Amino acid sequence: MGIWKKIKNKLRQKKGSLSKSIFIKSKKRTKELKSGMGFKMEEAGVRVEESKFYTGPEAAITQKQPMPWELPAGYGKDEIIVQARDPWWLHAYWELTPSTLERLSYQLKDAFQSAKRTLRVYDVSFIIFDGRNAHRFFDIDIGNDANNWYIDTQAPGRSWCVDLGLKLADGRFITIKRSNVVTTPLDGPSWLTDEEWMIPDDLFARLYGMSIGVGSSPVGIKKLWEERLKREFASGVLASPGFSPVKKIKERGFWLVVNTELIVYGATEPDAKVTVQGRPITLRSDGTFTLRFALPDGKQVIPVKAVSKDGLEERSITPIVTKETK
Amino acid sequence: MEKGYLCIVLHSHLPFVRHPEHEDFLEEDWLYEGITETYIPLIRMIERLYADNVNFRLTMSLTPTLISMLKDTLLQERYNKHINKLIELAHKEVERTRWQPEFNHLAHMYLNNFYEARNTFERYNRDLVNAFKNFQDQGKIEIITCGATHGYFPLMDVVKPSVRAQVKTAVSHYEKVFGRRPKGIWLPECGYNPGDDEILKEAGLRYFFTDAHGVLHGSPRPKYGVFAPVYCKSGVACFGRDLESSKQVWSSIEGYPGDYYYREFYRDIGFDLDYDYIKPYIHPDGIRINTGIKYYRVTGPTNDKQPYNPELARQKAAEHAGNFMFNRHRQIEFLYDALGKKPIITAPYDAELFGHWWYEGVMWLDFLIRKLAFNQDMIRMITPSEYLLENPRNQVITPSLSSWGWKGYSEVWLQGSNDWIYRHLHQASSQMTELVRLFPNVEDGLLKRALNQALRELLLAQSSDWAFIMATGTHVNYAIKRTKEHILRFQRLYQEIKSNSLDKDWLADIEYKDNIFPDIDYRVHQ
Repeated sequence: MGIWKKIKNKLRQKKGSLSKSIFIKSKKRTKELKSGMGFKMEEAGVRVEESKFYTGPEAAITQKQPMPWELPAGYGKDEIIVQARDPWWLHAYWELTPSTLERLSYQLKDAFQSAKRTLRVYDVSFIIFDGRNAHRFFDIDIGNDANNWYIDTQAPGRSWCVDLGLKLADGRFITIKRSNVVTTPLDGPSWLTDEEWMIPDDLFARLYGMSIGVGSSPVGIKKLWEERLKREFASGVLASPGFSPVKKIKERGFWLVVNTELIVYGATEPDAKVTVQGRPITLRSDGTFTLRFALPDGKQVIPVKAVSKDGLEERSITPIVTKETK
Repeated sequence: MEKGYLCIVLHSHLPFVRHPEHEDFLEEDWLYEGITETYIPLIRMIERLYADNVNFRLTMSLTPTLISMLKDTLLQERYNKHINKLIELAHKEVERTRWQPEFNHLAHMYLNNFYEARNTFERYNRDLVNAFKNFQDQGKIEIITCGATHGYFPLMDVVKPSVRAQVKTAVSHYEKVFGRRPKGIWLPECGYNPGDDEILKEAGLRYFFTDAHGVLHGSPRPKYGVFAPVYCKSGVACFGRDLESSKQVWSSIEGYPGDYYYREFYRDIGFDLDYDYIKPYIHPDGIRINTGIKYYRVTGPTNDKQPYNPELARQKAAEHAGNFMFNRHRQIEFLYDALGKKPIITAPYDAELFGHWWYEGVMWLDFLIRKLAFNQDMIRMITPSEYLLENPRNQVITPSLSSWGWKGYSEVWLQGSNDWIYRHLHQASSQMTELVRLFPNVEDGLLKRALNQALRELLLAQSSDWAFIMATGTHVNYAIKRTKEHILRFQRLYQEIKSNSLDKDWLADIEYKDNIFPDIDYRVHQ
């Protein structure tokens, strides 16, 4: 149990850091990605979806998008909204109006200056929260500039409510605005079973393992889910800028590609019939023509034959081209 | 002996990208590529299955945004231009590769593909939705709906009226297009938030899907895992995705698309060929883009790619279809004995996986469907609504919050690169609800048009694609621009409506630009 708890904590820390470390990891992998193999399951999912929007490595970046007017920084209200990101993490964003801050400053006088802006996170699972009956709470010091925060709750399957407030030097907490209540999902199967639809634990574990694609050995269920998450981490993928195809190209390192093409062009009477290597070609209205061929190594014999409209005259010219690559 | 069911679901979606104000618009290519490489090949496959009288079932979601684009005459005209350009390029390629037999037959293959695309497009009078409608009317395909603009529901928890507007707008749009009510819905990004099923029920929808853990982590414990659907308390059924079968198709380690004989997606002549030669077929600004003509196979972990060989790839696709069926047999045999009833394997995929990303994917699906129909009798393909008719008694649980995005929850759409959008989206949603309360019954006139347009702008801003693109890093500026543009248009409409100062010309202009859902009713946002 102790070990699982540790692993879980580790996983959770990783999850939380949206972070540079994960970004970098996925960058490293781009070379492998470019070669069209080596991506893991979840990666593939992201890539397939991303490929819908893939027009080429440069296009999206190079293209200029004139930006419309900027969005308002705020909407002139005091508000804090909380959303569940996953079983462990919440995201809160808020807005405080200058007048609210002025009012508080006026009311609290000197205490306002030393007060710390704080998020107080209440565990309000299975209760109707009245401000005092939370199971527990914890505080986060958010500084004066932040307007949103990712909160690590450390406990899946619970309900949360967050107060945006001020913590005074003497320890008092003043709520400025209270958020909505959110419930995070469980990070494993429910402990609740219903009598009518009972299932033995070992069979459920087996079904569970099969369903999430980590095999069907009847080991602990929690372990299986963690196994699945670990695999995702191991793949080092984040739906991140690390996927940018531009970087993929850069990651190739130094390189050189040389191809050769041959242009055959000429002119005759506009109404003549012309064949090149025995195949008829279409002349432009002025009687000129241009053909372009990829030129492989070896010798190409290219007979060009023109026959006048009345079929009485014929001219042939046969360029011979030899290409060799060293 | 029949021991189980297979329910394949293809989710087809593209965000609404249509810019009549520009002659040529890069992001519209998403649609054109989808048409040529996925939608038309799928249509051709289904036509052949019907023609050969193969017994099969497929469930497909076509999102309202995709349907709207496929039915839009401007985009149809532009696709026509696009495919004609491709045909012209393919002709040149046939000529250019004359001395390279290893590429020349591929140039011919693409030329044929493009001709077939154009013929199919013309056969349905340029309206490919009609193809799918016909297929559904013939009974073997079930088409389901999706959120109106593919908004991600779990991040609309604080603005439920927006979930309702997404669902109801989608359902009425579906009814108008297909002449019947949809039976099921593909929740955008498979994102389920407990309680949203109540809104599905209001809209007359009978089932939806979640990722595996949506059902597995539901409460109480699901007796059959994901191998039978469950009912939510609302009575709406929920089918859980089987990751085992998904993995075989998505993953290149255990899965198929990364096979060395399959075509390489990232080597395109738009990048490989001489600039002057390819210039008329790339972006008018001179930016190289994909053309869809790709001559190489995956080859291996190397940049030294080998030419593609369609015949070998075809054999691989057949082999992989056989392997997929074999694995489902093993899975179903075990489950049938363990559960004491016939399991259902729900296998949903992004439709664009097939053909576009995995070139041989459509072929693989074709092989699989035929093998299932003719070479075995243990598995029967089924649609969710048929399953529920045959198996009406199912356990009631509350599925868990979940999505099929990376890590299974909301992180793709809620992270450093895109979390800033929610304060604006939620604000606009609240304002929209306020407008509906202020004007509960506007029957016609300018005000009604403005209210309807406000809802259009809000819905367009909500597309999960913008957040997704911001997170993945391609076309980021476009995604940011779209988000801002729709929110700003909404804000201006809101102000003008409330101050009774509507700018008629400007309204007409944005109606012309954002012309999705002509029959929208703003009152669904409550």
